[in-house]
Amino acid sequence: MSLHVTFRVGNASYALPAAQVLHLESYETATHVPGAPPYVAGLVQVRGRLVPVVDLRARFGLPPIEHSLDRRVVVVQNGTRVAGLLVDSAREVVQIDEAAYEKPPEIIEEQASGFVSGVATAAKRLFLLVDVPRIIGEELSHG
Amino acid sequence: MANSNGNGKGIEVTAARLDEIVRALRSTVGRATQIEENVAQLAENGESQAAAAEEMRESISSIATSMEETATASEQLARSQQTVAANANEVQKGLEASASGLQELVASIGTVNKDAEVLAQGAESTATVIEQSARALKSISGNAKELAGVSDRLASAMTQTSTTIADTASRGAETAATIEEVATTVEQMAAGSARLAADARQVGDRVNNLSTGFKTVVGALEHVVSDAAETASSVEETSATAEELARSFRGVAELAETLQQATASSASNLTEVAASVEEVAATAEKTAVVIDGNAAAVEQIARAAQGVTQSVQEVSTLAGSSASAVHQLDTVTRKIAAVVEESKTTSSRVGVSARTGGATVGRTIGGLVKIRQTLVEGASVMKDMGKRAEEIGDIVQTINLIADRTNLLSLNASIEAARAGEHGRGFAVIAEEIRALAERAAAAASDVSKIVRGLQGAARDAQASSTEGMRIAEEGAQLSEEARAGLQAILEGVEALDGSIKNISSASEEQARAVQIVATTTARVETESKQIARVNAEQSTAIASVARAAGEMRIMAKQTRDATSEQARTLRDLVKQNSQLTSLADKLTRATEEQATGANQLAKASTQIRIASQRTTSAMSEQLKTLGSMTESVAEIASATQRTVGGVAEQAKGAHEIGRAMDAARKHAMQSARTIAEQATATKELESGVRDLARLSAEVTTAVEQQTIGLNVLAKDADTARRIAKQTARAVNEQNDALEQLSVATTRQTSAMKSLAHATLEQTTTTEQISHAMRDIRSRLREITTALAATAKTAQSTAKETSTVAREVAAVRAASAEQAELISGLGRGGSNGSVEPTT
Repeated sequence: MSLHVTFRVGNASYALPAAQVLHLESYETATHVPGAPPYVAGLVQVRGRLVPVVDLRARFGLPPIEHSLDRRVVVVQNGTRVAGLLVDSAREVVQIDEAAYEKPPEIIEEQASGFVSGVATAAKRLFLLVDVPRIIGEELSHG
Repeated sequence: MANSNGNGKGIEVTAARLDEIVRALRSTVGRATQIEENVAQLAENGESQAAAAEEMRESISSIATSMEETATASEQLARSQQTVAANANEVQKGLEASASGLQELVASIGTVNKDAEVLAQGAESTATVIEQSARALKSISGNAKELAGVSDRLASAMTQTSTTIADTASRGAETAATIEEVATTVEQMAAGSARLAADARQVGDRVNNLSTGFKTVVGALEHVVSDAAETASSVEETSATAEELARSFRGVAELAETLQQATASSASNLTEVAASVEEVAATAEKTAVVIDGNAAAVEQIARAAQGVTQSVQEVSTLAGSSASAVHQLDTVTRKIAAVVEESKTTSSRVGVSARTGGATVGRTIGGLVKIRQTLVEGASVMKDMGKRAEEIGDIVQTINLIADRTNLLSLNASIEAARAGEHGRGFAVIAEEIRALAERAAAAASDVSKIVRGLQGAARDAQASSTEGMRIAEEGAQLSEEARAGLQAILEGVEALDGSIKNISSASEEQARAVQIVATTTARVETESKQIARVNAEQSTAIASVARAAGEMRIMAKQTRDATSEQARTLRDLVKQNSQLTSLADKLTRATEEQATGANQLAKASTQIRIASQRTTSAMSEQLKTLGSMTESVAEIASATQRTVGGVAEQAKGAHEIGRAMDAARKHAMQSARTIAEQATATKELESGVRDLARLSAEVTTAVEQQTIGLNVLAKDADTARRIAKQTARAVNEQNDALEQLSVATTRQTSAMKSLAHATLEQTTTTEQISHAMRDIRSRLREITTALAATAKTAQSTAKETSTVAREVAAVRAASAEQAELISGLGRGGSNGSVEPTT
C-alpha cells in the first residue's frame, strides 16, 4: 500500500503515487509563455522555483472551464525535472496497493493517447493512473 | 624490481619462491585491488551515505521548514479559526438577532395580517356600505324618477291648471268685462232710471198739476155744467124770457155777449184744457215712449241679468272646477311635499351613509398607512437581513478559502509524511484528520452558503413581496383616497341635493300656500259667484217683475196715450165744437144782434139755443162725464205714474243697488280676475317651480344615476380594494409563512452556525493539537537532523578515513603492483612470465 494523490480532471478521477508528487499548490494564474504548446498554461513560481504548468484539461482534449478555487497544481518530479499539472481539483490522498494496478483496456489506452498507464480501485472508487513522464516528457520534447 | 638471479637450483628455488611471492603479491595486489575496490566502494558508499544523509538532512530540514511553515500556518489557521469562531459567534449572534428580528417581524406581520384582515373587513364593510348606498341611491333614483314622473305629471297638471286658470282668467276677465258692461249698462240704466224717476216725478208733478187742473177744469166744468145748466135754464128762461123777452134782445144780446164771453173764456179754457190735454197727450205719448224705452231697457236688463246669471253660474261652475283642480293641485302639492320630505330623509340617510363610508374609508386609509409603515419597517429589516446574509456569505467564503487552504496544507503534509516514511506515519494520520476536518468545514461552509443563498433569496422575495405589498397598500390608500373623494363628492351631491330638496320643499310649501290661497280664493270666488248668482237671480226676479211692471206700464201708457189721444181728439173736436160754439155764439151774438133786430127769430133761436144748450149741456155732461173718466184716467195715470215713479224710483234704487252690487261684483270680478291672474301667475310660477322641480328631479335623477354610476364604480373599486385587501392579507399570510420559514431557516442556520462554531472550536483545538504535534515533530526532526548531521559528519569522517584507507590501499596496491612488477620483472628474468594488473 502506498499513498497516492488523487485529483479530478473532467469527470474522471486520477491517481498519482505520492512519491512522484512534491507538493500541491493552489492555482490562480500562470505567466503565459509565448510559443509554448496550447496545453502549457504557463509558468508559476512555487517555493522559489519556476515550474511549467501543464493544463491537463487541454492535454486531455477537454474544453476549458472557468477559474475556481478548486483548481490546483500538482507539482510532480520526474527525475530532475519538476513540472506542475493543472487539475480541476485535488482534495484527497488515498492508499492504493500498487500490486492492484491493472492495465487499462486497450481501447482506453488508445483513446487516452497513452496518458493512462493503469487503473486502480481504492475505497470502491476507480482511479486512472497517469503516466507523468508521458505527459511532461512530451511536453518537454515539444518545449 | 631487481630480482636476483641465483643459480640453477637456488634460482629455481628462488624463482619458485619468487613465483610464489609474485603469486602472493599478485594475490596481494589482487586483494589490494579488491580492498581498493572495496574501499572505493566503501568511500563511494560513505559519500553516498553522506550525500544521502545530507539529502536526508536537507529533506528533513526542508520538512522542518515545511513543518515550520505548517506550524506557522497551523497557528495562523488556529488564529483564523479563532477569528472564524469569533466571527461565527458574531454570525450566530447576528443570526440570533436576525431570528429575533424575524420573530418580531413575524409578530409585526401577524399584526399586519390582522390589520390587513381588519382592512379586508373594513373594505368588505365599505363595499357593503357602498352597495347599500348604491341600493339606497337606486331606490332614490327610483324615487327621484317617480318624483320626476310625478313632477312631470304635476307640470302637465299645472300646465292644464294654468291653461284652465288662464281660461278662467280670460273667462273671469270676460265676466269682469261683461259685469263691467252690465255695470255700465246698469249705471246707465240707473242714470236712465234716475232721469226717468226725475222725469216720472216731473210727470207725476205735471200729472198732479194736470189732475189739479183737471179737477179745477172739472170743477170749472161742473161749474160750467152747472152754469151751462143754469145757462140752459137761463136759456130756457132766456128762451122763455126771449120768448117773453123776444123783444128785449139787448139783454139777451148782452147775455149773448156774456155768453159769448163766457163761451170765449170757456173756449179759451177749453183750448187751454185742450192744449193741456194735448200736452198731457204729448207727455203721455212721451211717457209711453219713455215707458216703452224703459220697458225695453228693463227687458234688456232682464235679459242682461239673465246673461249675468248665466255668466255667474258659469263663473260658479268654473270656480267649482277650479276649486276641484286646485284641490287636485293641493293633493299633488302635498304628495310632492311628502315625496320631497322622503327625498330629504333619504338624502340625509345617504349623507349619513356617505359620512360613515368616509369614516370607514379614513380608517381603511389609516390601516393601509399602518400596513405600509409596517411593510417599510419589514423591508428595512429584510434589507438588513440581506446585508447580514451577504456578510455571512463573505464569512462563509473566507471559511471556504481557509478550508481549501487547510485541505491543501493537509494534502501537502500527507505527501511530506509519506515521504518521511515511518516517521511521518503519525503525521499522516493528523494530516488526514486535518483534511477530513477541512472537508467537513468546507461542507458545512457549503451548507451555510446554500442556506445563506436561500436566506438571501427569501429576503429578496420578502423584500419584493413587501415592496409589492407596499405598492398595493399605496394603491389601496390611493383607491381609498379616491373612494373618500368619491364619498366627499357624494356628500357634496347629497348636500346639494339637500339644498335642492329644501328649495323644492320651500317652493312646494310656497306652492301649497299659494294653492291654499288659490283654493281659498277659488272658494271665495265660488261663494261670491254663488252670492252674485243669488243676488243676480234676485235681481233678475226683480228685474223681471220690473219688466213685467214695465210691460204693464207700457200697456197702461199705451192705454193712457190712446185715451189721452182720444181725449185730445175729443178735446180737439170739443175745441172745434167750441170754436163752432164760439162762432155760433158769435153768430148767436150776431143773431141776437140780428135778434135784436129780429126778435121773433130769437125764440126759435132760443129754442135752438136751448136745444144747443141742451145739447151743449148734454155734451158738457158728456164732456164732463168724459172729463170725469178722464180725470179718473188721469188720477189713474197719476197713481200709475206715482206708482211708476215709485217703481222707477225703486227701479232706480234697485238699479243703483244693482249698480252698487254690480260695482261690488265688478270689484269682486276684478278681484277674482286679479286673483285668478295672480293664481295664473302663481300657477305659472308653480308650473315653472314644478318645471324646475321636474328639472331638478331630472337633475337629481341624473345626479343620482351618476351617483349610482359613481357608486357602482366605487363599489367596483371597493370590490377591487376588497380583493386587494384580501390579496394583501393573503400576501401578508404568505409573507408570514415565508418569514416563519425564514425564521426556521435562520434558527437552523443559527444552530448550524453554532455547530460550525463548535466545529471551528474543535478544529481550533485540533489545530492547536496539530501545532503541538508539529512542534513535537519539529523537535524530533531537529533531533533527527542533529543525529543525521552527526551521522553525516561521522560518515564524512569515515569517508575521509575510508578515502585515506583507499589512498593507502591504493598506495599499498601501487606498491604491491610495483613490487609485483619488480618481482615479475624478476620472474620474467627467470621464467619470462608477465604480471598483468587486474583492473
